[in-house]
Amino acid sequence: MSGQQPSDEPTGSSEPSNERDSIDGSPANSRGRHLLVDALRRQRLGLLMGMGAALGWTAFRVTVPRLIQLGIDRGIRGTDPLWRWSLFIAIAGMFSGIFLGLRRYTAFRNARRVEARTRDRLFAHIQRLHIAYHDVTATGELMSRANTDLQQFQNVVTMVPITTGNALIVVAVAVVMLLTDPVLALLALIGLPLVNLLGKKFSEKLHPAVLAVQKESAELAGVVEETVAGMRVVKGFGAEGVQAEKLVTEADDVYRESIRVSRIRARYLPGIELVPNVGLVIVLAYGGQLVIDDQLTIGQLVGFNLYVLMLIQPLRMLGMVVAQWQRAIAAGDRIAEVLDTAPVIVDPSHPTALPEATRTSPVGRIEFNHVHFGYAGGSGPPVLTDFHLTINAGESVAIVGPTGCGKSTVARLAPRFYDVDDGSILLDGIDLRELERRELRRAISLVFEDTFLFSGTIRENIAFADPDASMDDVRQAATLAGARDFIEDFELGFDTQLGERGLSLSGGQRQRISIARSLLANPRVLILDDATSAVDPTKEHEIRDAMQEVMAKRTTIVIAHRAATISLADRVVVLDEGRIVAEGTHSDLLATNERYREILAASDAGESDDTPVPAGAS
Amino acid sequence: MGWLQGGVTEEDRLDLTATGAVLARTARLAAPYRRLGIRAFFLLVAWTGTILAGPFLVRRALDDGIRVGDSGVLFESVVAYLAAALLGYVLYRSAIVTLASVGESFLRDMRIRVFDRLLRQALGFYDRNKSGVLVSRMTSDIDSLSELVQFGLLMFTGALLQLIGTIVALGFLSGRLLLVCLISVPIVALASVKFQRDSNRAYLVVRDRIGLTLSALQEGIAGVRIVQAFGREELEASRFSRTNDSLYRSHMDSVKVAAWYLPIIEMAGTITTAAAIGIGGWWVRSGELSIGTVVAFVLLLQGMFEPVQQLSQLFNLVQSATASLSKLYELIDEPIEVPDPDEPQSLSPAGEIDVSNLSFSYGDGPRVLSNVDLTVGAGERIAFVGPTGAGKSTLAKLIARLYDPSEGSISFDGVDLRSATGRELRDRVLVVPQEGHLFTGTVADNIRIAKPDASDDEVRDALDRIGVLGRIEGFENGLHTEVREGGARLSAGERQLVSLARAALADPAVLVLDEATSSLDPGTELIVEGALEELMTDRTVIAIAHRLSTSQRCDRVAVIDEGGIAEIGTHDDLVAAGGHYAALFDAWQRGQP
Repeated sequence: MSGQQPSDEPTGSSEPSNERDSIDGSPANSRGRHLLVDALRRQRLGLLMGMGAALGWTAFRVTVPRLIQLGIDRGIRGTDPLWRWSLFIAIAGMFSGIFLGLRRYTAFRNARRVEARTRDRLFAHIQRLHIAYHDVTATGELMSRANTDLQQFQNVVTMVPITTGNALIVVAVAVVMLLTDPVLALLALIGLPLVNLLGKKFSEKLHPAVLAVQKESAELAGVVEETVAGMRVVKGFGAEGVQAEKLVTEADDVYRESIRVSRIRARYLPGIELVPNVGLVIVLAYGGQLVIDDQLTIGQLVGFNLYVLMLIQPLRMLGMVVAQWQRAIAAGDRIAEVLDTAPVIVDPSHPTALPEATRTSPVGRIEFNHVHFGYAGGSGPPVLTDFHLTINAGESVAIVGPTGCGKSTVARLAPRFYDVDDGSILLDGIDLRELERRELRRAISLVFEDTFLFSGTIRENIAFADPDASMDDVRQAATLAGARDFIEDFELGFDTQLGERGLSLSGGQRQRISIARSLLANPRVLILDDATSAVDPTKEHEIRDAMQEVMAKRTTIVIAHRAATISLADRVVVLDEGRIVAEGTHSDLLATNERYREILAASDAGESDDTPVPAGAS
Repeated sequence: MGWLQGGVTEEDRLDLTATGAVLARTARLAAPYRRLGIRAFFLLVAWTGTILAGPFLVRRALDDGIRVGDSGVLFESVVAYLAAALLGYVLYRSAIVTLASVGESFLRDMRIRVFDRLLRQALGFYDRNKSGVLVSRMTSDIDSLSELVQFGLLMFTGALLQLIGTIVALGFLSGRLLLVCLISVPIVALASVKFQRDSNRAYLVVRDRIGLTLSALQEGIAGVRIVQAFGREELEASRFSRTNDSLYRSHMDSVKVAAWYLPIIEMAGTITTAAAIGIGGWWVRSGELSIGTVVAFVLLLQGMFEPVQQLSQLFNLVQSATASLSKLYELIDEPIEVPDPDEPQSLSPAGEIDVSNLSFSYGDGPRVLSNVDLTVGAGERIAFVGPTGAGKSTLAKLIARLYDPSEGSISFDGVDLRSATGRELRDRVLVVPQEGHLFTGTVADNIRIAKPDASDDEVRDALDRIGVLGRIEGFENGLHTEVREGGARLSAGERQLVSLARAALADPAVLVLDEATSSLDPGTELIVEGALEELMTDRTVIAIAHRLSTSQRCDRVAVIDEGGIAEIGTHDDLVAAGGHYAALFDAWQRGQP
């Protein structure tokens, strides 16, 4: 009775979502409801058990005050053996407890199951969604769908048996009281709906206030993070005072919002306490008079008292449930929004197989056929305009151009991360859209500028495309990429763990592992998107030898800044503002093309360092 | 998590002495709020009293009013009950506000205090401590305290008072009956201890698994391009599913812990009530107790078991908050390595820098510099070159007093750097680090960090001096363009320009320049070079040079190798001398296109 929310029930305020809460009844909302109904249907057995337990709990719980009443009237004030009533009370209490445990267990289990299953579904779906979707959707956004939103959503599943139990208690108690003495019952119950109302109001007011505290706390954390991360700058410029002042502002904001939360608690919680107490006073006043007038027994009076006490918690919970339900549905709606997004890049219904290599016709010819492309489904500004380029099997081509010229886009169109707006791309004579994605992406492998490695061993990272690859294949790929020596220098060699808790690799090392990863599947076409930019210039010759080897045997598209890398390619294509402006060998272009010289000179002015970056972070 | 209120690992758990020390210190730190705190406590005590008064008034109404047919006494009791309820309302209301105000004020002070301490620490402290850990002190540790303050403290104190008050009240009603009711104590105590332990363990496992699941999630989303490029969608989904399943199983463990405890306590409550009715009723029949006493007893019992379960649920939260406090105090107690002097000497506006017999090592590590002597004249430009780890950055940082020398000294116009305040030194000597780290706020705010009171015009002036005003004003909102956290919207080159503008605005006599090593896009590279040249004009410059084109432009070059100055002289002299620098320069030149 200390006036706090019972901690066994879902409060919903601990894990709020950071997004707009949509209001009941909007069409989008039905998606969240649909997701919920679907989830509940899958859990129907568990739900039935939970409801059954709630029913049993109600029955025994409501019996207890009645037994106490009878114990007083027939045992203490009558002649019945007292031990019998004591025993009945104890037995009812035992069963009530058992059903309570069952109800809690099933409620929480159902919810956790729904949570786990939905998270699996979400993750699998996110993995399949097209790259263009990921380009415009922040990682954090998807993270909160699968985390905070899901937490709220599972709350609602917990609520089903718990709310059922609470509603049953309220109805059962009201019925018992009305049957005993309708007038006293009405007097005792008349104020209690206020508890419900106050509970609802409290929950509605508290939620946004708690969110505000969390928002301010996050801002404060932001100041701390940026300060600690930039401590060299803070110290170097003597900016301690500036940052300290920022923190004071944020700490004041957190203080202000927290006090606001406590004001809301102060406004509602004592009221929620007071209303039932007034009910108790009324019971004592009117009921006491009835006892004096011999119209009510002392036991019944005590029973009434206990019933009023019993109603407080359920009524409060029922009040809060409405607001929680709305939030959970809103969260479910956001989750459904992701799940309902259909992947755009899909396999054709009747895929064509790629031709096998024969001795007379090698494979790996790629043709860009008057390609037009812009991001955002073609609605963005054009990135490639009438891009026309044929690369023969086994040929290596370097694409060179200033930042933003579209060269990385070429690299991303080849493995069909995006579909072209106009024109076509053919691999060995077949339109990419007619190929199965899996086959296409084994045939065309892209080494990204951003060397993202996954947590796991080096071997697992190299064998990413084919987890069943033999150790010999892994070793060979590493050798080709010039990574084998440094890997074998590690104590655990290929079994070295990478990632958060694993080894930190230098940019160049990461790069070579990611090249090995691409080589493992022995692709027909290899695309190196700025793949050597992170390699220490003094070590570049090592990787250059490896690249020469790699490029000799397959079609290669190299996107690079450094002359040394570019010169390895058979042919150089200069791209500017989405168009090919020059083509030729490195030495020809160097001799004849002013723009080419400009681009190269600018790129070589800067050098790269070899700072260790933890694998897995990008 | 609902029922899981927190937890503390074995290594973080404090013993009694340590807990006592933490609490005593907290009391000292909260001294400004002591009166308010005492008031909150008495409000809670009084509020508990109003709750306990109810059953006593029911007893009086029953025994002296209802049973003897005296409506007057009944009326009196009813009025008193109503008064107690209303008084309780007022007391509770003001207790919530008072307690929150004490707790939140303490937290606010704590945040500021810890952060100030962090800011006063020298770079050496940041070399030793992982930034993630430091950030978590200010976030998760203070958050666990604020969780306690926001709802735990009121609940904990309220529950404790109510439990104690109820037991006292029960004893007052009937000592004998209280003894009978104690039969449930062993069950409740055992169950509570077990619950507290199990839920602590379950909480820690769940927390750990949540972390694993979130990082798997993060990895899967951030790496989605690679996953798709290699056709690993399904494999990754099943890999994630395993992590997710282990989270589910840990949740289920905690569900089991949570499911049985509340019912046990409820059962204990009902069984105690049964005993009170049975045995108390027997004593009523024998005339040893009044019916009103037994009824009051039963009513009081209804409010006694909820505090028990609240207390054992909150116990873990209180423990982890104490552990967090102890970690925060440890952080506050860390000594400051580069302290301000007690009696600071003032620095002249400009002057010669004199490094004399300087030796340095990081912490207990090996010597990084030994017995270095160097004089840099006012307005001179000197470049430090040499292999990575040879000590060139260290020497530059020592000159800026980011560290203090282990032996020897550095002086500015004859005044030892250790005799000046940090603030004053920074007005003379600025360090421009290689990374253009941006803080939340506008471009102008970012430029102003070394001179917070500068006007917009002064900022513009500084930008103009280094020739980049046009570029910055070309942003969407010019100087007032917001740079998001981490400065995602500014390119690397633009961030470097902001960094240079900071120095230009502060206009120091000495500039320590840690040259950027990362490559920039072609256009920006030239602008940065130009801005740098402007910035260096008329200043003493100490450049940590990674490109030998920079050292070429300096008055003198010092080759730092193996912890000392291997060669020093003008660029031309050193090249002519054919030593270390000549070899470096030769290698560098061959690497150029």
